Amino acid sequence: MQTGWAIAAVLAGGLLACLGAALAYRARGARLVAQAANEMAALREALAQAEAQASGAQAVHASDAQAWMQKEAEFADALARQSAEADARRDALRAVETEQAALLALAERIEQEAGRLRALSGTFERWHEQMISLTTQNQDMRTKNHELSSIVAHVSIVSLNASIEAARAGAAGRGFSIVASEVRTLAARSQQLSNSYRDSLNRNDLVTAATFQDIQAGGKMITAALGTVEMLTGQLSGQLRERLQGARA
Amino acid sequence: MISAQAKDSVERIFFSAARTRLVSDGSACAIVPAAGDARPAPRDSHAVVLTISSLHFRLLLALRFRDDDVTRAYFGATAQRPLQDAFMEVANLCCGAMNQALIEHFPDLGMSTPYLLGSASIDAMHALGPHHLAAFDVTVGDAVRLGATLCICANAPVDFYAQDTAAVESGGELELF
Repeated sequence: MQTGWAIAAVLAGGLLACLGAALAYRARGARLVAQAANEMAALREALAQAEAQASGAQAVHASDAQAWMQKEAEFADALARQSAEADARRDALRAVETEQAALLALAERIEQEAGRLRALSGTFERWHEQMISLTTQNQDMRTKNHELSSIVAHVSIVSLNASIEAARAGAAGRGFSIVASEVRTLAARSQQLSNSYRDSLNRNDLVTAATFQDIQAGGKMITAALGTVEMLTGQLSGQLRERLQGARA
Repeated sequence: MISAQAKDSVERIFFSAARTRLVSDGSACAIVPAAGDARPAPRDSHAVVLTISSLHFRLLLALRFRDDDVTRAYFGATAQRPLQDAFMEVANLCCGAMNQALIEHFPDLGMSTPYLLGSASIDAMHALGPHHLAAFDVTVGDAVRLGATLCICANAPVDFYAQDTAAVESGGELELF
């Protein structure tokens, strides 16, 4: 009996143990389920956070990409604008170079013309030589006039002597006296004419000399002015040449 | 056509040029207006004529001289260098000094070479239709008598004032102190 009770007690104890073990197992399973659920929730939360972060990062990237695209577009516009400006400047530079080249050619032409016109001094000197030729002719006429004046003076003396001789001849020389008087009158008129001619030659000498000296002095004035023009145009063409070379360098 | 101060300026410029260029060895130079009208009698045998031309006027300077011993000695004439040549050189220097003074007021000027005429030709200056004619008796050294005639023909109004050379030099000296 006691053995039965013992067995029963053992069985009951075993049953209780089994029950306890079952309860314990069940409790452990419930804890494991709860733990798994918690972990799952944590994982879901982490996933959600990761998705949120990924979404934010994507938005940031998208924004950055938009900004870069905008900058790229701006850069492209700026490049196109600067390129257009560079083209315009290049065209303007070419136009300026062309203009400077034309101005240089013009300045060099003026310089050459001024240099060429300075040869006018030779023409003025030629006129001066012609003046000397004219005054030499005047001098020749003056000499001849002086000779004529001497002849007239001689004729006047001769006519006076003739008058004296006619007076000595008395009535016979009356006719000769009239002729001698007429010759003396003609000699006096000739002398007046000779004096007037001498004055004309003096005046002609002065006017000729003054006129040709004015031409000569005026020629020097023009030559000097042309020299100044030549020098200034030389300086201008030099500056233009330097600028043109600088622009092409 | 030619203002009074322009006439006066030209005459003062001539006086200054004559006193510095017509004399040698620092001898005296007396200049007085010629007696009578502006056309003195042809008492000298030769005259050297020079012309200064500008855009608006021409100025003739005629310097008369006698070919005598005193004049030949003063201007250093020799057998190899006749008085005419020596005096033309002096006259050229005198006119050159006038040209130099005038160029300060008239940038475009030209001067001729000297030319020798008979002094009687100077009496015909009126034939040039001058707007100003002035004649002076010039005595250089002790006894060298010269004659000078200034003749200006203008084709436009001429007016300028030339500062007295002596005043300028004096002013320059004062600035040094």
